[in-house]
Amino acid sequence: MTGRTAPRTTTRTVLLALGELLAWWTALALLWLVFITSVDTLERIVGASAAAAGALLARAGRRAVNWR
Amino acid sequence: MNGWILAATVVLAGGGAAVLWGVTSGPMSRRVVAQNLATSVACPALLLLAQGYDRPAYVDLALLMALLGPIGTLVFARLLAVDLAGDRPRAGRESPACRANDGNFASGPAAWGPTWAAAALGAGVVVAVCVATGPGRAMVKLLVTGALLIGGNVIASRALSGGFEGVRGG
Repeated sequence: MTGRTAPRTTTRTVLLALGELLAWWTALALLWLVFITSVDTLERIVGASAAAAGALLARAGRRAVNWR
Repeated sequence: MNGWILAATVVLAGGGAAVLWGVTSGPMSRRVVAQNLATSVACPALLLLAQGYDRPAYVDLALLMALLGPIGTLVFARLLAVDLAGDRPRAGRESPACRANDGNFASGPAAWGPTWAAAALGAGVVVAVCVATGPGRAMVKLLVTGALLIGGNVIASRALSGGFEGVRGG
């Protein structure tokens, strides 16, 4: 979307990216918590990590689709 | 054998017979719809079996099936797009406006009767199992599974009926 000119990494774009990642992370972490059988510390750590990786992938996928 | 297992047996037998009949007869468009029906029948059956045998792990299988079944059908819809369009004498070569005139995009070969019947079956099973499970995380998981099942099948049926022709590279 904003790649027409030289990429300007303004504070706004960084904040938007962080916000999107946070939204994906929240949704994915909630899904993880819903899908597991027993909630304990290890599950929370693994779920948060997996949701972080998933958030990065989800944003990359969303951008790949929007840039067509 | 309790009521849940009996219901699962009925769903599997009836749905399996319909799937077998569909995939072995008729034009290709009908066969593709029938193979899509396989997962939309097996998923509610797995939910019923999970309740009947009291094994929540079966819900995971149903969840995966609800997710992967429509994806497989979308791959079929993409790979067989040319053949499916040839199977579509009424709606295939007409403009999207004509399809919109039908109101409920029901002009393609992907039979919307079976699609909505399968959706109703999935919804009924999910509601029944939710009532038996009671509120909690397990119920949210069931609801997510049901949403994936119904939404995925509606999207897959729409793709098979040419509803996404306007999507670039879709």
